[in-house]
Parts: sequence; structure tokens; C-alpha cells
Amino acid sequence: MSGLSVKGLRAAHGRNEILAGVDLTVEDGALACVLGPSGCGKSTLLRVIAGFHPAMAGEVALGERPLDDGRRRLPAQHRRVGYVPQDGALFPHLTVAGNIGFGVPRARRRAKVAELLALVGLDGLQDRHPHQLSGGQQQRVALARALAAEPELLLLDEPFAALDAALRTELRAEIAATLRRAGTTAVLVTHDQEEALSFADTIAVMRNGRIAQQGTPQRLYHEPDDTAVARFLGEANLIPAAITADKALTVLGPLPLTAPAEANGHGLVMLRPHQLRLSAEPGPGAIHATITDNRFRGHDHRLELRPTVPDGLPATLIAYTGTPWNATEAWVGAQGAAHPVSEPPGSAPRRPAHEPAGQAQPSRTPVPRAVNGS
Amino acid sequence: MTGLPNPAGPSPLGRWRGAGLLAPAALAIAAAVASPLVLIGVQAGEAGWEQARRLLGRPLVGDLLWNTVTLALAVTLATAVLGFGAACLVERTDLPGRRWWTTALALPLAVPEFVRGYSWVSLTSSVRGYWGAVLVMTCSLYPLVFLPVAATLRRADTAAEEVSRSLGRGPLATLCRVTLPLARPALAGGALLVSLYLLGEYGAFAMLRYTTFATAIFTEYKLGFDAASAAQLTLVLVALALLLVVLEAGTGRRGRTVRRATAGRGAAPARLGRWTPLALAALGSLTATALGVPVYALGYWLVRGSSTTLPQASVITAVLTTLGYSAAAALVATAAAVPVALYAWRRGTRLARAAEGAAYLTRALPGIAIALSVIHFVIRYAQPLYQQPPMLVAGYVVLYFPLALTAVRAALAQVPPGVEEVARSLGTRPAAVLARITLPLVLPGLGTAAAMVALTAGTELTATLLLRPTGTETLATRFWTYTSGLAYGAAAPYAALMVALSVPPVLLLTRRTLGADPRTETTR
Amino acid sequence: MLRTFRPAIGLALGTVCALALTACGGSGDNAGDSASAAQGGASLKGQTITVYSGQHEQTVKALAADFEKRTGIKVKLRSGDEAELANQILQEGPASPADVFYAENPPALTTLEEKGLLAPVRPGTLKSVPAGDSSPKGDWAGVSARTAAFIAAEGKGADTAPPASVRDLAKPEWKGRLGIAPGETDFAPVVTRMIKTDGEDAARKWLAGLKANARTYDSNEDLSAAVNKGEVEGGVIDHYYFYRLRDEQTAARTHAKLHYFAKGDPGALIDVSGAAALKNGKHQQAAQAFLAYLDSVPAQQVIAGSESYEYPLVPGVKGKKELPELATIGTVANGAGLGDGKDALRLLQDTGLLP
Repeated sequence: MSGLSVKGLRAAHGRNEILAGVDLTVEDGALACVLGPSGCGKSTLLRVIAGFHPAMAGEVALGERPLDDGRRRLPAQHRRVGYVPQDGALFPHLTVAGNIGFGVPRARRRAKVAELLALVGLDGLQDRHPHQLSGGQQQRVALARALAAEPELLLLDEPFAALDAALRTELRAEIAATLRRAGTTAVLVTHDQEEALSFADTIAVMRNGRIAQQGTPQRLYHEPDDTAVARFLGEANLIPAAITADKALTVLGPLPLTAPAEANGHGLVMLRPHQLRLSAEPGPGAIHATITDNRFRGHDHRLELRPTVPDGLPATLIAYTGTPWNATEAWVGAQGAAHPVSEPPGSAPRRPAHEPAGQAQPSRTPVPRAVNGS
Repeated sequence: MTGLPNPAGPSPLGRWRGAGLLAPAALAIAAAVASPLVLIGVQAGEAGWEQARRLLGRPLVGDLLWNTVTLALAVTLATAVLGFGAACLVERTDLPGRRWWTTALALPLAVPEFVRGYSWVSLTSSVRGYWGAVLVMTCSLYPLVFLPVAATLRRADTAAEEVSRSLGRGPLATLCRVTLPLARPALAGGALLVSLYLLGEYGAFAMLRYTTFATAIFTEYKLGFDAASAAQLTLVLVALALLLVVLEAGTGRRGRTVRRATAGRGAAPARLGRWTPLALAALGSLTATALGVPVYALGYWLVRGSSTTLPQASVITAVLTTLGYSAAAALVATAAAVPVALYAWRRGTRLARAAEGAAYLTRALPGIAIALSVIHFVIRYAQPLYQQPPMLVAGYVVLYFPLALTAVRAALAQVPPGVEEVARSLGTRPAAVLARITLPLVLPGLGTAAAMVALTAGTELTATLLLRPTGTETLATRFWTYTSGLAYGAAAPYAALMVALSVPPVLLLTRRTLGADPRTETTR
Repeated sequence: MLRTFRPAIGLALGTVCALALTACGGSGDNAGDSASAAQGGASLKGQTITVYSGQHEQTVKALAADFEKRTGIKVKLRSGDEAELANQILQEGPASPADVFYAENPPALTTLEEKGLLAPVRPGTLKSVPAGDSSPKGDWAGVSARTAAFIAAEGKGADTAPPASVRDLAKPEWKGRLGIAPGETDFAPVVTRMIKTDGEDAARKWLAGLKANARTYDSNEDLSAAVNKGEVEGGVIDHYYFYRLRDEQTAARTHAKLHYFAKGDPGALIDVSGAAALKNGKHQQAAQAFLAYLDSVPAQQVIAGSESYEYPLVPGVKGKKELPELATIGTVANGAGLGDGKDALRLLQDTGLLP
């Protein structure tokens, strides 16, 4: 058997089209993450895969097994697709053991429950009822319950959203480890880019009912296809450049490209905040900037800078630095490879270059997340 | 998993939900329950426009409509205020003996309508007329609001109320601006049942000498023997009921989700302080009027009526018959309400809501219209069952289906979203999901529904007289036999038995509806 | 997925949806039945007839038991409100299981007669009661009689100076002192009689006067109790309500007296209670046997002795001793005189006494 494949999937709520042709492939045993803002259709995608919502067209298959081809569907109970909803949806009338053992044949139930209690670290709580558990414990039970049925595919719909930050990080790591140990293919849906980056083998960024780009976390972070994906995965400095075969010529000097460009021309390149270097002295390719905001975040400092000479640059540049920077101004240079990004399809024609990069789309602004999640 | 699809053989893919039996079952049940509406429509059509104009053109009809609407408004308002107020007192304050009060406040449900009507009239003639009707009906119907509202308050998270207090709102402002909206769906549902009931009620008003629109309908039946004219008048009630159902859907649906209290989290009850005696006096006078009067009147007739005889052997038969029929009606009505409520709950479609609404409309029909319609259909399409026990059960089911539906609907609203889907994703077949998840979760609600139906069916008279198998006697028909012969003393033991038999369902209803008291849980 | 609901549906179908089951058209086999039954009383033995009765239940039970003992025909007695039972028969149509309808007042019977639902009563039965006591068409037979009367609170003006005529009750001096139960099937005949004797206009004026003077009650039971409590001074009822009230309250707690209107007054109305065989009944002979029994001496004695306080109709059978002789009260209003009560209903509705 081999993982999940979704091709040209369309689905609607009434007349409202939610999925407009989704293509997604998840390798067997991989942890995938569907990342997107609220309302992009990612929960509907999960519900179609789980068998709770009908597809209008397209194809969903698990290995060689078709699940839904837009006309006929395999009922949810025959799919072997596990599902962990956002609030856990534990069966309130059953104990922890009853919940975990729900999908397990009676003969194997006892052993399986014990095994999973140990796996999710809830030994000794088997006789509690859901209302006697904390939020994190409830989520672990929900996960154990889904795993106990030995699904071929596990779907997790923002399972950590209701938890506090510390618990979220911890539980996420545990669950990722558990899933890898069990060798289960899993799809996690989230709007939290940090969650996606730390959890997944592969990330699919979803936008307006389509997958905008799918790839490894590293690739998506460093080499996003367009400006929206770039911003969605973290803060980005989008800088105008003249692109040649192997170089981007910017006001910060010539920079190597992440990959050879197919065509020469003018465009935007992305530099992540940690690619910006600050120094007290002017240097080659460095520009002068004033520091407008400076925040300590524990492991690093985040600085917002306003270039003294606009020169086509965004009004605000963002830099992360490991060492404290106490001056109110700096010379800013760049290091590492620049990545050319296009405007997302269907977006307005190129924005004026001076628009602040980090705040271009407030609804999905990653700033508070980044602060919050670190 | 080995099930690779065989391209030649049947595909493992099934059709999407289409093959389900739920929708046809729900629609069939709704259609059966709403069949009296169809018959009334047909009969009204037979009578023709000319007759309709004559009937409805009389000035008296306008007066009667006015009587009906003003009474329904006043009683609905009064029951809403009393029901909500009493629920707040027992659920949100430190009133002494709250648990006891909860039971006492629900107990008037155990008094059959005709017993109540008679007991008031035999006590004082001053309850006759508009204000008398308002008083008596309010006393008998407020539990229909009190119970669901108290249940909602008990289950609801008190966080919103606490936040309101922290924002500087006083207890009264919090009550009006936070608690009341919180309880609105329950309040609207209860008020709907009360007002629908008032539209179709005849017997109690007849005793109170208050004429409503239902009086006009009964006149056509009783003196004119004219079902067609009666049907035309009944359509007016149906129109009023439709208005109410739509109104409830509007007010009740907004803010339907109530956050459930987390475990062991009871609100710190508001301190009544020097208001305690006043609150006690208010609840005391309410229960004294609603409960004390009928009990006193029954006692009076038991002791003073010269025709009071020691109950004969037939009383045991009557008790068993009553129990049997009310239990059967309760089971069938509850079983029938499950598919309809489930259908409306799972699919919020217009069709599902229409099916639900149609079932409610019958609540506004006078009992005689429903009974005659059951006669009409059964004798034509199910003749072997005519005047057999199932026919009487069917009559009760049609009459009290809305009560069962309300209870099951309320129970389903408490089921956490997504559990059915998760259960299916664990490889459980839908039948097993229903048996292992949904039904266990709504079981308390099913108990409520069954208790409610058993309670009302056990004391029903009009339909019982028309639909019972010939020779069958229930407590209500025995009571009727004696009261229509003016032998109140002989009737009193039957009435007392009806009240006594109604007490356990009421207690069950109270316990089921309210569930365990979170405050007693926390003290453990 | 919804296979699940089969148990629930099974339950529901059993009864609720029974309405939707196919008919098994059940009226084909009565001809042979009644033909064989025509042989005589012996072959009727073991048959069961269904009697829909709006009459005083305890009395009818006694009658049915006696009838069973004498003939061997079983009686299934269905007691109810006469109007509701008449509606039930109308709704049932030809498939009605009823063999006999025993009503309290003529209008219900006349309505069924007009709809052609009754079978002619055997001439022998009709002959055993005075000719005017049965339907002129011969479709129902009179069984017992009751008289309209005036119940008055003891010692009040209504008692010391009772009205001689029911017409007087519309006079202004009765304002606020009267009670009436216009919705009772017993009251409409008085109105019909007023229309017959004084004409429609006079009857309308009379009703308007009553409306101005009287409080309305739902039933004669309520009205009697109200008079007994002194709520109103008096009211028009059927005579037996007074006696039943007295039996219940005991003489000591009865604070009312019964007065009769002058002979010949429209209020001095003797109204019969009759019974009929249904045309579509499956036991025609047995039904006729029951009607014949009702108008036989033994049955009439049961009625006379019962606590229903009604007058027997068969000559020679005496009513309860405390009841005044029927002949001293007035004449029987026969079926032709009372009709189906539709005119009375219309007038009651027009004057606003009834909705």
C-alpha cells in the first residue's frame, strides 16, 4: 500500500464551492500538513477524505483503493481513515478505556487499550470519564482512540488549537513521534505555520480551495513559489531585484540565487529575516536604516528597520539577530541565497514596492504567531 | 486492507447517503403525524367558500379570535415569566430547599387538565372569565417553561454570567442581559408548547366559562354535526399555529449553542439575603395555587361526595389499562420522534425543518379533530386495526408527538458535535454508531420524552372516548362516566389515582430533564 | 447508512403508520349474515352487536346485561358523548362497526336519518311506544323521556316565584339572575320549540333577551351545580340533572328546587331519547332485537328504576315515584317537531349565545 492521493478534488457546501480542484499526494508513512488561513477549505478537504462530506468531482484514493470519485463513495466506516477533530469529540458517556477501545474488536480490546494508554502516556487514567480530563489529556485520548483502530491514514483537524502554547508544543512533538513510531500516514490541518514546520514531512499550503504549493518544510520556507506562500510560512523581506542567470542584483548588492533562473528580468526576491546582517559600519552592499522596533524573544532579537533611502525597498525590513543590538540605527546587508518569488495567481497587479512586506496581509500576519510560538 | 476494487465486480464505493432510510422514515412519520392537517384541509375544501364566508363573517368569530389571541398572549407571557423566574431562583440563587422546590414546581404537571378545571370551579366561581382562565392556565402550564429553562441553566457554563458581573453589571442586569438570552431557546420552545396548547384547548375553558376559538369548532361538531364547517374553523387555528412555529424558529434558533459547564463547575449562587422570605413566599403561593387547589378539591370529593364508593375491582383493570396504553404511547411516540429529530439534527435542510414544523402544528388542533381524523384514516386504510388497541395508541402518538419531539430534539442538541463522524471513522457501521453512541447519549432525553407522553396520554379523555376499543375503560373514561352523571364522589377516586400515577413520571421527568445537580456533585 | 432505523420504524409503522396501510375493504359480507339471522331469535344467539351509546352509562350497562341474559346476544357497549359518537359514525361512513346508536336527544338521530345512515325500525317496536315518541319516518324509536324544567336556588326569588313560562326568562326582571347552558344538546330542542310555536323572529328576540339576562355555562351539570351554590338563581335544565345532583350532594346539601313550566308552554317540553339501527350494521336482526328490547316492559322497568331518573315510554310502566306524571307536565315533542336542530343552532349562533 502507499499513501494518499487526491486529484482534482472539488466539493461544495450547497452552492458555495469550497474545494476548487485540490491535488495532494502524501507518501506512505509520511506526516503531511495542510496549512492555510481560516476558510480556505482545509477542514472540508479533511472531511471529504474522511468520508463525511461528498466530493463533486475528482478522486480520492488511499493506495490503490479509491475512496471517492465524485459519483460513488466508500462509506466512512469502510475507509480505515482515522479522524481527530479539533475538540477531540470524545464520547462523553464512555470512559477513557471505552473511548480508546471503541473501534477495536472485543477480543483484542484489552491489550490494545493498554498498549495505547502507554503510547500516549495516560496509564492509570483508563477509568476516568472525558469530563474528568484536562484538555491535553482529552486530545491524547482522541489520538489514541483513532490509532487503536489501526487506520491506514490519520486525519488531524487542528487538534492542538485549543491548547495553551507550552502544552501545544509538547503534545505536538509527542504525537509526531508517536505517529512516526506507528508508521501511520497522517494529514494535519492547521493555520499555524510553526506547527506545520515542526510537525510535517511535507507541507501543502492551501489557498482559496486549491493547493498553492506542496513541498518539504525547508523547501517551502526557503523557496516559496510566490509572495503569499512566502509570507504564510514566516516573515519575509521581499526586495526588488534584477535577476540574471545566477544572480539577483539588489540594493543590498548582488546575491546568489537559490536556483538558476529560467529567464532574466525584474522581479522580487525573498530574504528571510535571519539573512539580514546588521553592522555598525558601512560595508559593501550595506544600506543605512533606522531601527523602529526592537524586541527580545528569548532565543533571538527581532528588529524592524526603516531604510533611510527607500530605493524601491519595502518601508520596513525585518531582521532577526542572535546578539543584542542596542543602537538606534544600523547598516543592513544580506547573506545567503536570494529566492525569486512571483505574485500569487489571481492577485492584484504588483503592489508598489514600498509597501511593508510583513504587514501586507493582516489576516494571515505571522508576526504574533512567531512571537507567541517561540 | 485487501479490498482492491474489482473493475468488473461491484465497486466498494457506495452511493453517498442516498440509500439511507432516515429521510424516508422521518418524512413518513411526519406525514403520518400531520395527516389530520391534510384531512382538515380536504374537509374544509368540501364545505366551500360560501360556508367559509358565512362562518368566518360572523362578528362573534372576531371576538373569539380576540379572546383566543389575548389569552394565549397573556398566558404565554405569564408562564414565561413564572417559568424563567422560578428556574432562576432554584438554579441561580441560594434559596433554601432548592431541590425540594424544583420537584414541587414540576408537580402540577401530574394534575390532569379536567381535574384542575373542575377543582377550581368547584372551589370558587370567581375563576371564571378571562382572568380566571389566565390564572388557571398559567398555573397548569408554567412547568412546560420551567423545566426546560431550569435544565438549560443547570447545564450552561456560568462563565458568561461571571464575566458580566466582572464588567460591573449588577445581578439584575446580568439576569436580563446574559442569563435570559442564554435560556432563550429553552424559553421559546416552552412558550411555543404553551401557546399551541392554548389554541386547541377546549375542555378546561368550557369549565371556566371562557369561550375561545376552539369553542366555535366544538359547536359545529356537537350541535351541527358538521365536520366540514368545523374543519374550516380549524384552519384558522392552523394558521395561527403556523405563525407561532415560525416565530419560535426565529427567536429560538439564534444563539442555540449553549456552552456546557465544565466538570464540577457550579456557579456560586447569588445571595438572596433579605429577599429570601419574599422569594419563598412567591414560590410558596405559586405551588399552593397550582398544586394545592386540585389536591384540596380532590380531597373534598373523596371525603364528602356521597357517591364515593370503595373502588371496585374494575378500578384495577382501569389502572392497568391506563398504564398499558400510556406506556405503549410513550414508547411509540418516542421511537417515532427519534428519526424525525435525528433527521432535522443531522441535516439542517429546509425539508427537515418543515417536517419538524408540520409535526408541531398538530398540537394546536382540538383533540376531537385529531381523533376524528385518526378514525377517518384507520377505518379506510387500516380497517383491521379499527377500534383495536393500536388505533388508540396511534391517536395518542399523533396527539403528543410534538412533546416527544421537543424532548428528543433538546437531548440531541446536547450531543457533542462530531462524535457520530468520529465513531464512523473508527470503522463502526451506522447502526452500531446509533446503538453505541447516539442513543446512549440521548437516552435521558428519550426518558424525558417517554415520561412526558405517558403523563399526558394517561389522562387524555376526548380522543380516548372516540378511539378506544369498545369496552375499554381507562381511569379518565371512568372519571368522565361519573362526572357526566354528576357523581363527583364516585369519580374522585379515579381522579386521585390519575394524579397518583402521574407523580412518578413527573419525578422522572424532573430528574431526567435537569440531570444531576452540579452543586451537589461539587460538595462530594 | 440508515438501515439503523429499522427497529424504530418497525415500531412506528406498527401503529402510527398503520394509517397508511392498504385498506382491506371490509363491507362485502353482511348480506349473507343478516339473511341467515332472519330465521329467528335462536340463530341470533352468540352474535355480538356494537352499541354506540350517548345515554347514561350505568343505566345502559344494566340494560345491556339484561338483554344479553334474555337473548344470548352479546353487547359491546361504547359509551361517549352523543354528539361525538354521531360525529364518529359520520366519519366512519359505511364501514362503521356500530349496529345500534342510542342517543340522548333526537337531533343526533335525525341528522343520521337525514344522511340515510339508519335502517327502518321494525313496526312492532315502533308500536310499543306512543306514536309521537319515535321518528315520523320510522328510522329511530323513542325509548325514554325527559322534560325541560326550571331549577331554582332554594328560597331565592326564582324559587318562591318561579316563572310560569320559559318566555318570561327573557324579561328584564331576570337580568343577572339566570344561568343557561346553550351548548347542551338538551337546550336546542327548547329553542326549536320556541321557533315552532312563536315563530323565528320571536324566538330570536327571546334568545337576545336570554343572552342579556343569563350567564352561560358549558353544561347542564355545571349549571345545576351553580344554581345549587347560589351562583345564579335559576336556569333551564332537563329534569333529571336535578335528581342526579340531589343524589350526589345528599338532600341536606341540596339547596335547589325543581319547578316545571305551565302545561302548553314551549318550556314544558318533553323530549325523547331514542335509539336506531345503523343501515350498514352487520347484525341487522340482532340490532332490531335490541331496539325491540329497549321498548319492552322489562327494559322500561330497568330505565324507570335506574338512577338516570328518566321517564319510561311504554304504557303501563311507571316512572320513579318522586317524578310528577308526564301527562301533567306537557306533551311530547316528537321528532318531526324537533328536526335536526339546525335552525336552533343557527339562531343560537346569530344571537351570539353560541359561537
